Amino acid sequence: MTPEQLALRDTVRSLLDKHSDVRAAIETPHGYDKDVWARLCDIGALPIPERYGGSGAGRAETHIALEELGRTLTPSPLLASTIASRALLATGNEEACDRLLPRIADGTVATLVWPWDNGRSSLDGTARYVLDGDLAEIVLATDGTGLYEIDLAGVTREHTPTMDQTRRLATIHLTGAATLLGPWSRHVRDIALAALAAEQVGAAARALELTVEYSKTRVQFGKPIGSFQALKHRMADMHVLVETARSAALAATDEVSAAVAKVYCSEALFKVAAEMVQLHGGIAITWEHDAHLYLKRAHGSTQLFGSPQVHLARLAATCLDRDQPPEPASRKMRRNVGHSR
Amino acid sequence: MDLSLDAETLEFQAEVRSWLAAHVRPLSSMDTEHGFEEHRSWERLLASERLSVVSWPSTYGGREASLLQWLVFEEEYHASGAPGRVSQNGIFLLAPTLFAFGSDEQRSRILPAMASGDEVWAQAWSEPEAGSDLASLRSTAVRCDGGWLLRGQKTWSSRAAFADRAFGLFRTGPGERHRGLTYLLFDLRSEGVTVRPIDQLDGEPGFAEIFLDDVFVPDRDVVGEVGDGWRVAMSTAGNERGLTLRSPGRFTAAASRLVELYRKNPDPALRDRVVDAWIGAQAYRLHTFGALAQPRSGPAASVTKVFWSELDVALHETALDLLGEVAPGWRDGWLFSLSGPIYAGTNEIQRNVIAERILGLPR
Repeated sequence: MTPEQLALRDTVRSLLDKHSDVRAAIETPHGYDKDVWARLCDIGALPIPERYGGSGAGRAETHIALEELGRTLTPSPLLASTIASRALLATGNEEACDRLLPRIADGTVATLVWPWDNGRSSLDGTARYVLDGDLAEIVLATDGTGLYEIDLAGVTREHTPTMDQTRRLATIHLTGAATLLGPWSRHVRDIALAALAAEQVGAAARALELTVEYSKTRVQFGKPIGSFQALKHRMADMHVLVETARSAALAATDEVSAAVAKVYCSEALFKVAAEMVQLHGGIAITWEHDAHLYLKRAHGSTQLFGSPQVHLARLAATCLDRDQPPEPASRKMRRNVGHSR
Repeated sequence: MDLSLDAETLEFQAEVRSWLAAHVRPLSSMDTEHGFEEHRSWERLLASERLSVVSWPSTYGGREASLLQWLVFEEEYHASGAPGRVSQNGIFLLAPTLFAFGSDEQRSRILPAMASGDEVWAQAWSEPEAGSDLASLRSTAVRCDGGWLLRGQKTWSSRAAFADRAFGLFRTGPGERHRGLTYLLFDLRSEGVTVRPIDQLDGEPGFAEIFLDDVFVPDRDVVGEVGDGWRVAMSTAGNERGLTLRSPGRFTAAASRLVELYRKNPDPALRDRVVDAWIGAQAYRLHTFGALAQPRSGPAASVTKVFWSELDVALHETALDLLGEVAPGWRDGWLFSLSGPIYAGTNEIQRNVIAERILGLPR
């Protein structure tokens, strides 16, 4: 990380330390703390260019903020607004960017209705599991070829609570009233998967830290339980998962590497969160302890934007069924490598 | 993280690829006398193009390649199906130690012969009573006129059946366990050395026991300070566990072979495991490339070791399940993969290192 990126991380971390109260936020009607969101927008966490009223943050900066939000499980429209902003930028529609992006940069919640398997979808059906879908004032949608701005008049939307209370999802009944903004870029899916992976890495890293801290203070048989090898090795395995997941998330830039990151980080977070519960013992079975929040986030994130099975099937189709072997996770790196032996 | 290659590296990649395509041919097993010499000739051929130790200084036979270029070399090397490196214990374990702790005299005497394959090195660390607990080793080096006399027994010494020289740890006292150890080099053909090959589970003598009975070592073959051997050796341990010995190229190449195997033997029940193994190889590759951007601390090598060794087993087990009983082309790799979680410090030891030195858990 550059010094500026480290400073950004520290700023976001200290903001969340001071102001993020996850339990209070999920009890509010909209499910997130508007004050925290306003401060995140002020810091410039959204990837919106300066010419559209944003901070000029790049992918790396947004991912730093998402990783911090993942650590604390703070509910926030950052993920939804990031994806919507990038989809909008990808259209190249200057008028729409000029009109919408400054509002998003100021904190107006935006979201994207999209089919996670990248298939075609209709603009007048029911869309499920839309991030912040009942709150967003700007709703974009794709039919697989174009990006549209949804006319919200006549559209009905409802909050659909899921296991993960820290993530706001909604069902939207579209009417077909929409304005075409420009072409849909398939790369938006990769962007979404990479952003989610960054958040998952944050949650996994924090779940491990909390577990390590607990095992150093919880005493049984006259010793901290973290001194027992049976537990040490489980935490060592968690660390291997967190570090390799971080690498996968950092490298997720194209179709293959983003799918790899989605599968890998989903499985890593789920395993780490499940181990967090086991290593905490009885206290983790209580509502009061945060372990269940990490576990539920892990479950929800695993399903979000398509389950690992969906992406595995996609990778398998690329990797196993084509005539040519897959391009490895960075195309530029292994161009033209012969695989025949 | 940008993994794109600069023009110089692309040119290097192209050169390596075309050279390998023109020269790679199958060799006999390096764990036979005949095969060992074939592999030594291959090392000589590599060295004649200065491709045996690309990252080394040119004075010792290298090309001063960057870490990125070294990774590219390794990817090309493994993707081409080139032979295993009979010199690898010297190149990847002893050489980094000499760069860090050796004298100029030692480097200029030892490294060129290592790079050319003229001297092949074996590692002599483990003893019958000192495996995971290496610091309990008992072989001694006793002071004599002009040098040291080695006494004791080493075991599980890879390549020692046919190699020329060995590097090891010996107790020179005073002090117990990690104290009073010295890092010494010795000739496997010296008077007083008895090498007894040990057949491995593939039936070939991939490692050996070494019996040392007053074997003379001159003072010039002490690496680092007398009594400082533990610290010197641990610098080698990081190399063995970490990136240098197990470059991602080996696993991405194996994963590509696995994918090809699946295409020929498509078994839907194994589909997810094939893709999982392929993802694991990609994740390992990305993880090692991440080290280019952000160098990692010593104990981080333990993370890498656990990952690559268990990945290697998974890759081979999946291939075996696709193939059934015969497993042509995968049997030896599978048998070898089983040693990965054991050598270079068992994965149980690595997990202790991660837990205590990275996570700070109490002993």
